[in-house]
Amino acid sequence: MKPVLDSHIPDGPLKEKWGNYKNGIKLVNPANKRKHTVLVVGTGLAGGSAASTLAELGYNVKSFCIQDSPRRAHSIAAQGGINAAKNYPNDGDTVWRLFYDTVKGGDYRSREANVHRLAEISNEIIDQCVAQGVPFAREYGGLLDNRSFGGAQVSRTFYARGQTGQQLLLGAYQSMSRQIGLGNIEMFARQEMLDLVLVDGKARGIITRNLITGEIERHAGDAVLLCTGGYGNVYYLSTNAKNSNVTAAWRCHKRGATFANPCFTQIHPTCIPVSGDYQSKLTLMSESLRNDGRVWVPKKQGDNRKPKDIPEEERDYYLERRYPSFGNLVPRDVASRNAKYACDEGKGVGETKLAVFLDFAEAISRLGQEAIAARYGNLFEMYERITGENPYETPMRIYPAVHYTMGGLWVDYELQSNVPGLFVLGEANFSDHGANRLGASALMQGLADGYFVIPYTLGNYLASNDLPKVTIQDEAFATAQTESTAQIEKLLSIQGTKTVTEYHRELGRIMWDHVGMSRTEEGLQTAIKEITALREDFWENVLVPGENSTLNKNLEFAGRLADFLELGELMARDALERAESCGGHFREEYQSEEGEAMRNDDLFTYVAAWAYSENGHTLVKEPLEYESVKLTTRSYK
Amino acid sequence: MTESMNIKLKVWRQAGPKAQGRFETYTVPDANPHMSFLELLDVLNEQLIKSDQDPVEFDHDCREGICGSCGVVVDGVAHGPQRRTACCQLHMRHYKDGDTIVVEPWRAEAFPIIKDLVVDRSAFDRIIAAGGYISINAGAAQDANSLPIAKTAAELAMDFAACIGCGACVAACPNASASLFTAAKISHLAMLPQGAPERKSRVTAMVNQMAEEGFGDCSNHAECEAVCPKGISISTIATMRREYMKAVLG
Amino acid sequence: MSSKNVFRSPVGKKLITGITGLGLVVFALEHMIGNLAMFSGNDAYNEYAHFLSSLGPLLYVFEAGLVAFFLFHISNGIQIWYGSRKARPVGYDSYRSAGKPSQQSVSSRSMIVTGLILAVFLVIHLISFKFGPGGPGNADPSYVTSLGGEPARDLAKLVRHKFDSPFYAFGYSIVMLMLVVHLRHGIWSAFQSLGAMRPSLTPLVYGLGTILAIAIGLGFIALPLAIYFHII
Repeated sequence: MKPVLDSHIPDGPLKEKWGNYKNGIKLVNPANKRKHTVLVVGTGLAGGSAASTLAELGYNVKSFCIQDSPRRAHSIAAQGGINAAKNYPNDGDTVWRLFYDTVKGGDYRSREANVHRLAEISNEIIDQCVAQGVPFAREYGGLLDNRSFGGAQVSRTFYARGQTGQQLLLGAYQSMSRQIGLGNIEMFARQEMLDLVLVDGKARGIITRNLITGEIERHAGDAVLLCTGGYGNVYYLSTNAKNSNVTAAWRCHKRGATFANPCFTQIHPTCIPVSGDYQSKLTLMSESLRNDGRVWVPKKQGDNRKPKDIPEEERDYYLERRYPSFGNLVPRDVASRNAKYACDEGKGVGETKLAVFLDFAEAISRLGQEAIAARYGNLFEMYERITGENPYETPMRIYPAVHYTMGGLWVDYELQSNVPGLFVLGEANFSDHGANRLGASALMQGLADGYFVIPYTLGNYLASNDLPKVTIQDEAFATAQTESTAQIEKLLSIQGTKTVTEYHRELGRIMWDHVGMSRTEEGLQTAIKEITALREDFWENVLVPGENSTLNKNLEFAGRLADFLELGELMARDALERAESCGGHFREEYQSEEGEAMRNDDLFTYVAAWAYSENGHTLVKEPLEYESVKLTTRSYK
Repeated sequence: MTESMNIKLKVWRQAGPKAQGRFETYTVPDANPHMSFLELLDVLNEQLIKSDQDPVEFDHDCREGICGSCGVVVDGVAHGPQRRTACCQLHMRHYKDGDTIVVEPWRAEAFPIIKDLVVDRSAFDRIIAAGGYISINAGAAQDANSLPIAKTAAELAMDFAACIGCGACVAACPNASASLFTAAKISHLAMLPQGAPERKSRVTAMVNQMAEEGFGDCSNHAECEAVCPKGISISTIATMRREYMKAVLG
Repeated sequence: MSSKNVFRSPVGKKLITGITGLGLVVFALEHMIGNLAMFSGNDAYNEYAHFLSSLGPLLYVFEAGLVAFFLFHISNGIQIWYGSRKARPVGYDSYRSAGKPSQQSVSSRSMIVTGLILAVFLVIHLISFKFGPGGPGNADPSYVTSLGGEPARDLAKLVRHKFDSPFYAFGYSIVMLMLVVHLRHGIWSAFQSLGAMRPSLTPLVYGLGTILAIAIGLGFIALPLAIYFHII
């Protein structure tokens, strides 16, 4: 049975939709809020802000995270900044412009109404964070500083050195901590959600595993908020934290929530390249580096000279050459793809030849080393720590890496999935970034969802629905628990010969080669075949050490990999289905003569939501209607 | 290509919180200078799994020095020999072929061992929950620029707010004191006008919680600052004491 | 907040240790300078001692204050040491300092040892001198001298007598070296404990503290050695 997807976009002109929505919703009586238990899974920017805000409103919140503390969620690693349409620099920014840039940046594959709401809310987020004590960068006059980021034509990015994500997350964490101290949030750290429990078709609980004791626990509530981040680790190597995973979202998907646009993956252009087989993850260098760094490769193939020995005329500053107006500041997808092309042509640099130079020599001679150190000192230090090379003296070597996944569980305007009572926030949902996310927009979305959207939409759900009391003795909990336990036992019993890491690395290779920066029909077909075979082999031959009853990271990773092995196939299928190039999704068959992405708006202006059943996936389309924005070809020339 | 190194690891193994622990010595024959220290442990674990032994459990997540998950004592120093570096960003090029490395968990009564190198640092969360925040409900904030804050104060606040909560300060302190962690948050919020209304209750509540968790007292060894991956200064501890005096005296 | 909590709180304990520590440094400095009066002759020394005892009730107030300072300082020191043992019941197999900016040193790690030695010494010292022959409750006609016609305690004679013994002269000197070690960390630490510290000040205060510690120590050691080697 195909689910019907209704985006529930409110009536009225774009600019009035959010206001109209708020005017029309039902409210939960303050005295009744305490009677509602809300389960919030994940404690990143979306989950942390949602949990604290709902607790402030008076709801009874239970919060879950897989880390040892809610403060460690992967939002902490975001470096660059957070956008808002404050227009403090007086350089022409407006809510409309932020909205427009985000829709355009997403290559017209996101929902207008959601994005406009995001832009409207952006300003409140900054107010909230400053009030929490987030130490944003300031000017000498004491007011907030803004910078231009990721190719934006206005300076709308607020930042706290290269640690903006950390500071915003700690703000949310502190607000959560306050509510934990007050007893309004019950915190469950080192707990992993393994399943969603549906009662009468509504999300009423979750099954979790205590990662220290292995015990399976049942938690009941009136709604479940999934704030579990993205699935970039399907590629094994990514900038995501090692524990980031798709499991909670995937298990919800298997319980009926549709998964939207899974193939929309963002490959970030400025990461430190892979150095060897043992590589466990990739480290991002903030793209603010492209403000002053110049990207180049040698003009000659296989040029092994040291960068300083390659004369100026033998260098190809390919971004400046191909995109004279944006130059090194082209959006992430464009920069990444061009780095790949340079390496494909045999012009890559470094030991592995899978890297391009990011050179600061010109900026240092123009502005002085001190100015560069003030802007990027901590990034340069980090680079030197990892590579052992000094970027003040020799150009950085960078290469693209998987960084963010725009796809995720499908949600409507209220951030509710097609499963009633299951809300999905932050990177875990698909909603706001279309086919490509702009820099400094992820933090904005996570906090918008948690601080300012969910308090309204969840209240509306709770007030509009009859939610009879459910206890963890309910049959549905028992069934879900049995299934979770069975999978754990199965994983431990196989006792094959290949480790979880070996399988994961293999999956990553398939994904990167065929479902990466540049995709072809043939490659995607190959990927589907290879992933299917790998998945079957995994269930026959995986070697998971240890037991269930103690901390066992390999067991945790095995369960997550089992889900990645299913997701990977769906990503390839989605990429195959989408016979166009848009944003982070680039199909080689659909490019202009100059090698630029070619969208097909007639056929693909829709959200591809995939519904799961035992017999496989079926595609459900949510058509995207653009009332306020005219679809144009992105051009950064 | 780079040469591989033979590295011996003497690692603390402990099956559970109450189990008797012991050191085990392992050899990783093909370590690479470009590896991070945690990748060395990964390689060791793959070796162990293949030879039917339990892998060494250690906390790790972002592996770029910001989440604060990882942390072990490497040859007697929390996070190892490289200054201002969490052990996920410590690279093997600082070692040479044939070296033996001793790896131990954080040792503190307030950080009980869960397994092998993994410890329970929830005491830190309780210290923050005691008062390490500014009480502001979502939606109640005024415009962000209505409160100018001197750039120098904002920069200092950021220095102190950079704490990643890894616990190295406690691990390295001869007294197992959590003063640097606690003081960093108190100092961050004390630098900002937003933090002023609650400054007195904050410092007393957080200091009391710190004592309740069973951390030792500070003896001003300043070892914490030396191992802090973010280089947070013990001047925060001086600030915490000033804040405390103000709270007690007035 | 109740004063009881202040005494128990980690920060309160450090404040008290710091304040009493600095008070005791001032006392040690004053005592050391008083000792040096001996270099001007027995009479000068006895006059100084006589001046102190003639303060009467004021002296008792000082003495009571001193006793209180010592007791608080010692009991806090022991509590902090004991607390640190409890906070880390299982130590490291290998442990070393990470180096600068750590201030960890033999001096900082041995505060409890040097402190306890000084405390024991203090008791012996009081028995030997303050309550020694000619002192309160221990009248001894052979330790009476005359100052400007008035009879007064001949403390100088007692000091010379004691420091003629190598055991006492060198024992005293060694303990004073312990004091130097204690103060080398202690003086800087007290300022840090009182919150009077900024990163830029630390090296300066640490340096000056070390110089003051050595000066106090040398001043104390000068007297016994000068007497033992018959320089004065």
